[in-house]
Amino acid sequence: MSRKIIHIDMDAFFAAVEQRDNPALKGRPVIVGGQPNSRGVVATCSYEARKFGIHSAMPAARAWQLCPQGIFVKPRIAAYREVSQQIHQVFQQYTDLIEPLSLDEAYLDVSAVDRCSGSASLMAKEIRQQIFDVTQLTASAGISYNKFLAKIASDINKPNGQFLIKPEDGEAFVQQLPIGKFFGIGKVTEAKMHALGIQTGADLKQWPKEKLSQYFGKSGVYYYSIVRGIDERPVTSHRMRKSLGAETTFQTDIHDVEIMQQHLFQLAEQVVSGLQKKQLAGHTLTIKVKYADFQQITRSITVDELLYDVKKIICLIPLLLNKTEVDRRPVRLLGVTVSSLSRDIETGHDVQPGLFDQI
Amino acid sequence: MKFKILREDLLVPLQQVIGAVEKRQTLPALSNVLIKGEAQGLSLTATDLEIELVSTVQLMLDEPGEITLPAKKLLDICKSLPNEAEISIDVDVDRAIIKSGRSRFTLTTLPASDFPALDEISSVYEFNISQNVLKDLIDKTSFAMAQQDVRYYLNGLMMEVSSSTIRTVATDGHRLAFCEKEMDGDLADSKQVIIPRKGISELQRLLADSDETIKVILGNNHIQCQLPNQRFTSKLIDGRFPDYKRVMPAAEGNTLIVDRESLKQALVRASILSNEKYRGIRFILSENLLKLQAQNPDQEEADVELEINYSGDALEVGFNVTYMLDVLNTSSREIVQGIIKDANSSLLLSFPDESQARYVIMPMRL
Repeated sequence: MSRKIIHIDMDAFFAAVEQRDNPALKGRPVIVGGQPNSRGVVATCSYEARKFGIHSAMPAARAWQLCPQGIFVKPRIAAYREVSQQIHQVFQQYTDLIEPLSLDEAYLDVSAVDRCSGSASLMAKEIRQQIFDVTQLTASAGISYNKFLAKIASDINKPNGQFLIKPEDGEAFVQQLPIGKFFGIGKVTEAKMHALGIQTGADLKQWPKEKLSQYFGKSGVYYYSIVRGIDERPVTSHRMRKSLGAETTFQTDIHDVEIMQQHLFQLAEQVVSGLQKKQLAGHTLTIKVKYADFQQITRSITVDELLYDVKKIICLIPLLLNKTEVDRRPVRLLGVTVSSLSRDIETGHDVQPGLFDQI
Repeated sequence: MKFKILREDLLVPLQQVIGAVEKRQTLPALSNVLIKGEAQGLSLTATDLEIELVSTVQLMLDEPGEITLPAKKLLDICKSLPNEAEISIDVDVDRAIIKSGRSRFTLTTLPASDFPALDEISSVYEFNISQNVLKDLIDKTSFAMAQQDVRYYLNGLMMEVSSSTIRTVATDGHRLAFCEKEMDGDLADSKQVIIPRKGISELQRLLADSDETIKVILGNNHIQCQLPNQRFTSKLIDGRFPDYKRVMPAAEGNTLIVDRESLKQALVRASILSNEKYRGIRFILSENLLKLQAQNPDQEEADVELEINYSGDALEVGFNVTYMLDVLNTSSREIVQGIIKDANSSLLLSFPDESQARYVIMPMRL
């Protein structure tokens, strides 16, 4: 029997909360995120702002060029978190199988829920109504038999709407979908697919699994399945944290490798203190570098020891930085992430002293 | 490109280079092998951007050219064909047709221009060395390299050449292996390089037990070994290897002489009840007697006694049994000698008939 998955997605979430809490903003282009004179980016913008071509992740300065009359608001994460908890409580009335993707988005597996005579569409409608009653905010929903299709469906009648993709329609639905609409296919992959002559799901479906995995690695195998309407990923409510990271975008591009190192060291300290709070440590260190031309790369190293001490991370950073082109290219963003996490923070060092301890 | 080749003539060079083919490749071309067909014959190249392996075979081609083919698949095809089979390879624009007997395979190709070339090596020093000497230097020491240590310069083998000697040193920070051979060189100062783990394991595979000499080229960032029909190149680890001389204890102090095989068996026996994580074993030394004691977290215990030649101080000291066994397994000599100053000092191990190799093991706190 096929599953019933609902994807709930709040409409223009951060901006909608701002408009709700400040009626003066209603009906006006609201842009939540960085300030236009900074290098911050747009987190969310209201539908009024979207008409100007503004979208999330766009540099705030660019948004301001497009819409100088826009109202730029700094995010109030605490307020959004509160709403997020409220909507989570609504979900919990229906199912325990809730997988939050972010503050404003979640998958619900309602396969075993009897309410609304088991109709996922009716449940989605009720959930959206309840969210509105509690928060005065609208949400959209996508209903289907797997996560991939549910997520795509929630976008179709947005805002304040919902859409159902029935099991028998899933495969056909994916066929007509432009490749850029696939969840998990970003701009870069989209361009790569276009270069290969893949415009729609139907084009993608022509490709054998081996070719896709040759061009796109592991993701290629995933694309092969989803284009056939197959996505077996379960809705998992307890996600174990897989990594912890911090990053920073600079006011002006950095050229000096020394200064980059200093920033990375600071980020490493942030990450380590975050890990310590959670009593975690990891084996893998990754640095992220975004060059001034927006090309982004990561470099990582995995070690046997657990990285719980900032000193250890600091001695690895120059090594990773060496594998980049920061000596030749200015940098606008740097990030540090620790992954392969473990709670087993224990060292054998007391038992086995080192040869070079005194040196 | 078009040629016919005997199965074995293709299989051998393919097997020689396959070790460099990345399993988790970042560039599609890295899972391919570069095949160049020229007048002198065929050359096969594989790389993971850190090491590069090239193998050549003499052959008359019907048509020269260059192309890259999926390495693993080509190898599997060659392996699956019968001995002495004749294989014909015909490269079209983006396909290669491989035929042998009544089997026919079509493989996808990537252009040779997609294949990454290693940077040009600027030779700083070159020397010749017998294959078996270099192999022995590596075999005697490489086991002590660190695996994935934060001190990245330990994840490799240090090679030091001077005017009269060549040395290899490996350490994971708890134990160290050292080997030295005489060599005719003309180097004024000594030169140190650190070869990464993967390079070492490929080089080990390549070197034969023959006294044929090969040429070794040391560059600022690379090492290259030129063997007959084969070429090995590896990037070097950019770092400073710790001063190994400072941790090599003086060859004086309490000296024990033990039969290697008996010690090995005694250690294996006692280790059954050692802590699985730390693998510690207590060594209790007294006049001509070595007592080995192990205890695991369940408080189970092993006691094994062994007659040895010892007239030094009574001592109690702990060692990681794996480190001991690693050393004992490097040699087939009958006798092993250990020298230790006191219970807090490191142990110096060597095989008296084989003075070129020495091993240092740091004791454990048990």
